[in-house]
Amino acid sequence: MKHPPGLKGFLLALALLLGLLLLATGVGLLGYLALEAYLAPPGWTILVLALLVLVPGAVALGRLFPWLTDWYYLLPALAFLLVFTLYPIGLTVYLAFTDYSGRKNGFPDRSTETRVVAQEGARLVLEADAKEALRCDPCQGEQVEAYAEGHRARAKILEVEGPSLVLDRDLPFRAEYVAKVNTFGFVGLKNFAFILSQANQALLPVFTWNVVFALSTVLLNALLGLVLGLILHNKALKLRNFYRTALIVSWALPGVITVQVWVALLNYNFGAINRLLGVLGIYPIPWLNDPDWAKVAVLLVNLWLGFPYMMTATLGALSTIPDELYEAAKVDGATPWQTLWGITLPLLEKPMLPILLSSFAFNFNNFYLIYLLTGGGPAEEGRLATAQATDILISWAYKTAFSAEGQSAYGLGAAISLIIFALTVLISLVNFRFTGALREVR
Amino acid sequence: MRKVLGFLFTGLALYGVYWFAANRLFDEGSYRKQVAFGSVFVPFGWAYALLGLLGLVALILLYSLLYTALVNRLQGRRRSPWPLFQEGVTHLFLWVLILLVYYPVVQVVAASFDPTNNLFSFRRPDTGFLLLDAKVIPYLPNPSLENYAALVEGVVLYPYQGALLLLAALALLGVGGIGLLRRLLAQGEWMGLWQGRLLFLMALSVFALALSLSPRQFTGQGTEAKFLLWVRNTFLISGLTGLLAVLLTATAGYAFARFRHLPGRYPMLLFFIFVQMFPGFLALVAIYYLLSRLDLLNTFTGLVLAYSGGIISFGTWVYKGYLESISPSLEEAAMVDGATRWQVFTRILLPLSAPMFVFIFLLQFVGTYSEFVLANLVLTGVETWNVGVGLRSFTTGQFQTKWGVFAAASVLGSLPILFLFYGFQQYFVSGYTAGAVKE
Repeated sequence: MKHPPGLKGFLLALALLLGLLLLATGVGLLGYLALEAYLAPPGWTILVLALLVLVPGAVALGRLFPWLTDWYYLLPALAFLLVFTLYPIGLTVYLAFTDYSGRKNGFPDRSTETRVVAQEGARLVLEADAKEALRCDPCQGEQVEAYAEGHRARAKILEVEGPSLVLDRDLPFRAEYVAKVNTFGFVGLKNFAFILSQANQALLPVFTWNVVFALSTVLLNALLGLVLGLILHNKALKLRNFYRTALIVSWALPGVITVQVWVALLNYNFGAINRLLGVLGIYPIPWLNDPDWAKVAVLLVNLWLGFPYMMTATLGALSTIPDELYEAAKVDGATPWQTLWGITLPLLEKPMLPILLSSFAFNFNNFYLIYLLTGGGPAEEGRLATAQATDILISWAYKTAFSAEGQSAYGLGAAISLIIFALTVLISLVNFRFTGALREVR
Repeated sequence: MRKVLGFLFTGLALYGVYWFAANRLFDEGSYRKQVAFGSVFVPFGWAYALLGLLGLVALILLYSLLYTALVNRLQGRRRSPWPLFQEGVTHLFLWVLILLVYYPVVQVVAASFDPTNNLFSFRRPDTGFLLLDAKVIPYLPNPSLENYAALVEGVVLYPYQGALLLLAALALLGVGGIGLLRRLLAQGEWMGLWQGRLLFLMALSVFALALSLSPRQFTGQGTEAKFLLWVRNTFLISGLTGLLAVLLTATAGYAFARFRHLPGRYPMLLFFIFVQMFPGFLALVAIYYLLSRLDLLNTFTGLVLAYSGGIISFGTWVYKGYLESISPSLEEAAMVDGATRWQVFTRILLPLSAPMFVFIFLLQFVGTYSEFVLANLVLTGVETWNVGVGLRSFTTGQFQTKWGVFAAASVLGSLPILFLFYGFQQYFVSGYTAGAVKE
């Protein structure tokens, strides 16, 4: 059977595939919830159950609609993209409007764990006063988790009276403990309002530094890369392959290690860099202790890390310029300087622009450099604890969500991520506009 | 107009840099004129260094003048000495740059062999040679492997694991030997073939070794004795991510390259490209939430799944491009003979695509090796750390006294990637620059 043509066929295929995926996910979730009371399975059971539905489902669907099998070549990649890229993006949007945090994380609060003395239908009798033990007042509508060895179930409290509580459903097992669930909920624009109200202490300085950092690091790296590329492109230069191989070393080492090594090298009193500067008659520089010098340190370390890439890219771009142009220029009596400004640089613009733009996009979110080198610090007065002198947006979001200073404000971190999403999309659109990547796809 | 704007912008930027330097970097509070305790300080050292460089330039000038004069005299020509001088100065510039670029590398490698090394040491060597005393040139009176020994302390290897390690080492030696032969002898066809087979053997035995090691075999005290476990974890995570990338992208790339009849192929391609605009770690809160719900925090499975979204687009794109460069005539002939699409894919295209899969695997492997954000988020226990996260515990913890061990760990942890990068240099150079153009 032939594939139904046109938009209709596409939409039909898409609907069938997405329906299958949704069905599998639904069965996984429901199966997990149903199993919970009897087995207390780990969360990834959802994935296994979904897979158990997906594979036979796909086979059956392939029998029904033989033309659909062409799409199965795309299905694995598509499924992973949906579940582990698109879904987290949607989830980020949702979480950005909630008060999800380390304290309200959707898991039972073990400190409210209370033994169940007696159980009769939906009524549980606890060993202590329910309001005090579960730390809730009023308790109506609060979610609790009841569990025993190999069993667990969640339910809402309908009524509390002394040590006894009434749940909204019967538990299919004999509960041993009850604990309150730290639910998180929808808080509207509160996270964004917080970001804006503290804009002077975090958003504005962090954003400014983020843009300045990404711009100047790309410019610095590109400048050194360009100079080296121009030098090494000269075929008459002896040892040029050796130089290229030798200079590439900082690209060949894993950045996650070298950045951490730089922390030691930039130490104020004992670091190798300040020792070298001392021999050169320069007083020690507070690389990582001064808010302004830390910015310079970040730029210099990223120059060391990034110039080989720019050098290689320049060499690649230079090799696309035909030699005839240079010969013609030579015949016309152009000086090397004129050749450089009249031929080489203008012709480099087109191949280099996309590289510069994607390098900008990469450095805009260059988390590991900032986090490992300075940790965002050093501290600067009048800033939030999570947004210090060298913090960029992504490290600010990370510290807000996952560090002690941020007190695990996941929802707030998600809101910051959302801002970064918007900026990243903007940068990418500019990138597409310039490179014409979309036209090239066909 | 454009020129004027350019000049204006450059001028403004330069003024900004000047202002920043004058008011923020070199003001009283930031830059104190105070020699660090215990360090060597040479007043006006930069002037001596500059003079030395100028001396070298003068020497180059003298050499090129004399050499050209001699050659002109002998051959009776009139040539200018300037090109020779220019080349000499270029070499000088490149060598100074190489010295600067390798300075940190040399310092760390030296520190890893220094048993006494403690970063915060005031003791100053007294050799009478300025650069040695300042420890600008590493001073190693009695180098030892003590730091490396600390990393492997208490590691128990079962005999069969030792054999696997030996096999991998022999395969690596073989690859190196063939590489050397390639340089010396005439190219033989067997060389490339055997190099590929040996590399495959090495990858297999390393992977088997990584799979068979268990945390219980690392019995040493202290976190640094777990270093090899971290290396093994990193290999496992990166290897699995690379394999997953190949598996997921192979069929997708094939479909995009060959199913031109499929309606909606173009919007689907656009979707793949748009999705890759979002680096996976931007959704870190959501990924954390998802993994905590699936009980996959602190597991390799969770981390690999978290990476999986970000590895698809690039590989699909690359593989699609590769297949489009192959003529479809062979496949069409097979289809005429009654082969199904799946048979065409597995029997004809997969064997042809092995180099491309190696390429995708390697890029993914190296990229994952250096990934930090998600790894730091997901891997929370000492025994599941990878190299990057593990090293971080040195820099935040007992860094002061363990500088030597940290340096040794950095050197060992960097070696695999260094070998891979220089071994497959062409792959990486073309891969990253092409990827940048396309992305």
